Amino acid sequence: MDDAPGTRGAASAGPAGPVDPAVTDVAAAAAARARPPEETYRSAGEWIRKNLFSSRFNSLLTIAFGLLILFAARGLLNFVFSEERGWDAVRTNLRLIFTHAYPEEQYVRIWVCVGTLVVLTGLSLGLFARRGEGVQLKKISTVMAGVGAAIALGVILREPSVLTGADGAVVRENDDVVRQSFFEAMADRWVWWLAAAVLIVAGVVLRRAVASSKVSISSVPAVEFAVALLAVPVLSAWIYPWGHFAFVDGTFIAEPGRTVAMSTKVPWTVMWLLVVAAMALGRLMRRGFDEQQQQRMRIPLNLLWLGSPFALYWVILRDPHLEWDRVVSVDIPMGVLFGVIGAGVLWMLTRPGIGELGRIIAIVLLGVAAFNWVAAFFGWYSMLQKARLSFLLLALVALAAHNFAGEIVKRRRLVMAWLVLMAIVHYFATLMNAPSTVETPTEALIGGFAVTVIVAVFTIMLSFPLGVLLALARTSRLPIFRVMATSYIEVIRGVPLITILIFFAIILNLFLPVGMEISLIASATLGYTLFSAAYLAENVRGGLQSVRRGQFEASDAVGLSTTQRTVFVVLPQALRVSIPPLVGQMIATFKETSLLAIIGVFDVLRMANSVIPAQTQFLGIKREGLLFVSLVYWVFAYTLSKQSQRLERRLGVGER
Amino acid sequence: MSDEREERDDSAAGRFGAHTYQRAQGENNVSISDATVAVSDELAARDDMIVCRDVDKWFGDFQALSGITATIKEQEIVVVLGPSGSGKSTWIRCINRLEAHQNGQIIVDGIELTNDLRNIEKIRSEVGMVFQQFNLFPHLTVVDNITLAPIWVRKKSRPEAEELAASLLERVGIPEQAEKFPGQLSGGQQQRVAIARALAMEPRVMLFDEPTSALDPEMIKEVLDVMEELARSGMTMMVVTHEMGFAREVADRVIFMEGGEIVEVGTPHHFFTDPTEERTKLFLSQVL
Ligand SMILES: Nc1ncnc2c1ncn2[C@@H]1O[C@H](COP(=O)(O)OP(=O)(O)OP(=O)(O)O)[C@@H](O)[C@H]1O
Ligand SMILES: [Mg+2]
Repeated sequence: MDDAPGTRGAASAGPAGPVDPAVTDVAAAAAARARPPEETYRSAGEWIRKNLFSSRFNSLLTIAFGLLILFAARGLLNFVFSEERGWDAVRTNLRLIFTHAYPEEQYVRIWVCVGTLVVLTGLSLGLFARRGEGVQLKKISTVMAGVGAAIALGVILREPSVLTGADGAVVRENDDVVRQSFFEAMADRWVWWLAAAVLIVAGVVLRRAVASSKVSISSVPAVEFAVALLAVPVLSAWIYPWGHFAFVDGTFIAEPGRTVAMSTKVPWTVMWLLVVAAMALGRLMRRGFDEQQQQRMRIPLNLLWLGSPFALYWVILRDPHLEWDRVVSVDIPMGVLFGVIGAGVLWMLTRPGIGELGRIIAIVLLGVAAFNWVAAFFGWYSMLQKARLSFLLLALVALAAHNFAGEIVKRRRLVMAWLVLMAIVHYFATLMNAPSTVETPTEALIGGFAVTVIVAVFTIMLSFPLGVLLALARTSRLPIFRVMATSYIEVIRGVPLITILIFFAIILNLFLPVGMEISLIASATLGYTLFSAAYLAENVRGGLQSVRRGQFEASDAVGLSTTQRTVFVVLPQALRVSIPPLVGQMIATFKETSLLAIIGVFDVLRMANSVIPAQTQFLGIKREGLLFVSLVYWVFAYTLSKQSQRLERRLGVGER
Repeated sequence: MSDEREERDDSAAGRFGAHTYQRAQGENNVSISDATVAVSDELAARDDMIVCRDVDKWFGDFQALSGITATIKEQEIVVVLGPSGSGKSTWIRCINRLEAHQNGQIIVDGIELTNDLRNIEKIRSEVGMVFQQFNLFPHLTVVDNITLAPIWVRKKSRPEAEELAASLLERVGIPEQAEKFPGQLSGGQQQRVAIARALAMEPRVMLFDEPTSALDPEMIKEVLDVMEELARSGMTMMVVTHEMGFAREVADRVIFMEGGEIVEVGTPHHFFTDPTEERTKLFLSQVL
């Protein structure tokens, strides 16, 4: 109703003619609806007046909090840029912080891992990132000008206590901190002024150009833009003298006037080129494929993502040493045996008329498989771990086999899937059993931030299915499942994580039968998994409860079994609703890996908190490392949360 | 008997095409007691599709159905009428075990509904159901909504199921919406997808629980047209509705319920012009 006069005005302003005014009105109203009215401000001054100083009380609040922010920023700046800071401790120990004692001459393995992930990311982005998602040029210009202004403000805010020469080295008149005059200090920071000025001018020019529509595009593709931005730090490593810092044979080398070491800038340049190439390849594939083929590409790509942590850790990083005698005489025959026998069993279980008998056989198999584990626990009879695992997998697949009964094509597909699964499982099991050839001075293969990521990734991958199963069990109609799941969840949620970790790290090996021992990192991962699963289960349960009753009834009415209903109808909807809390839990898990330091793993926190401060060159330098580590954690957690928001938007959570 | 069914089950399209509109008017106007007597020595007579005998249903202390006895013949269209809360939905939902009845017998196509899961599975795949709230799966496209059950329950191959879905969408008049999600369709279109989804299981009976009650008036007709076409093709249908026009024109029999009981049964002509029971008259005076 409000815009009625406006639309009428628009109608009369148009070409006059014998047009039914009602029709034009409707058309105009529709046009108005297509573009929602945007709140526009004529100038920055207006924006400030309306948003910051709209009333006396608001003005007071703005001023008070503005001052607070200024003081905090000043404190942080003076801390970070003080010449007393030992940032060399961080710069020199980057390798230690990220991978701890992983041997230098094997470092190419680390880069292969990073490269694999980078290529997968590039492919995914190229294939699936939406074209529609662009960054508005207007927004870019605002951010540029804003960053420029922030830099300028920072330059002014920072206490004029040190004199920095043009080459970046600190120049002092005597050993005491010299108080310069304010203007002298300001003049000495000309590089920063220049940067601020360039950014502000560029921002304003861009904005003008967009406003006057001299530039025909109003936004750039977000992904391409982000990748292009990454080129800036990579290129700067070749050009700008960030400094050359290294520990060589325990001696500390710091050459401030040089560019970054080759061993850093070459790999990062390669990584950047890889991501660009992978993305271009993805785009090319996308252009060649139709919608359906693109959807089909998701499956192999997702499988690669799922498989990559295992392959990278056990194959690339460990470089296992295979004893070929044993492989030929034991491992291969065993894999083939399980493959063939399993295939036979599944082929039989998917015979069209098998009916109830199939279910009984599957349950018997499950019973035997479970008994194998119990027997292992009490040491009744010995059996290779992978045989136990294969048996369990066979039982689980057999339970689901009736869904594939009937047509020969489906049966063959199930059997093929089984053979592939066995090949993969036995391949990895064999490699996991083989000793590593990468020798490190510590007990663990790798430490630092790498171990944080590894534990977090495996925890998330393992706890997710476990959590979903627990949630399903807790909402099951069968009391035995319900009681078991509920008590598990309540027990875990009532115990502090650190207790669980200590239990698993120290006590677990005492409980295990002789000859079965697991490493500190593995047991910690187990503890994290069991803990995180309980919380995930509660999140998924919330999602399950939000699925409407009508969905259950409709599934029943078309004849879906309980399993089919759960897998195809209920879970997809429940998980979609629980994405935000699930990602929250994942981020929490990621951050909680910092507890690893307490049980004696050399994780990234321990590097900053005790390893670096113990080095003779950097004795007691702790704060810089901790600040840097916090920054690294934050970057990862923030990226995760941003990605989850994108996922939510794409799946349309909250709209239906 | 099984041979006969095999032949009919060939394909939905074939079956609907082969059977012409061949219902003898009036023949089905059997009183309830007659039907009961007719099947008393056997589980059910050959052409009895749904048989209910003395069905009782309680929700806690509240009796929602008491002594429901009725028979629905093959290819018959039965409309169930009654005031709100009279137990119409409860009855229709008992027939495919969305609710469990407590006393009496329900026999669908010769299979008795018991706690035996296999019987329930069998009956559910023979009985299609359309809900007032559509209950489409919001995370699946229209095609996937329709093909889900044929692929996983009927074990059809995907191309086969998709072909079936395409022909069914054609039949309900929305072939162009196949790749959309339910949220992108109008109410009438959603309900037609729901009908196609039920038909994809090639059911022998279709149950409709107020299929048009959640629709805007202009969409009611498109759904009723589909239902009428379905009736003409020879499907056995049990329809709970407040659309008196549909009852009058399409139904073979009208069953009037109140307070969980069947009050009156008759042809539409009998029912709308000359009802015997006082309660029926009162109901009709309110709705007509
Ligand atoms: N799950 C339930 N628990 C308890 N009472 C129920 C339940 N479902 C239905 N009822 C009760 O059973 C009676 C019959 O309900 P039903 O839904 O079958 O009525 P209806 O004839 O379909 O009415 P309407 O025309 O409003 O849909 C009502 O009194 C209702 O309150
Ligand atoms: Mg109802």
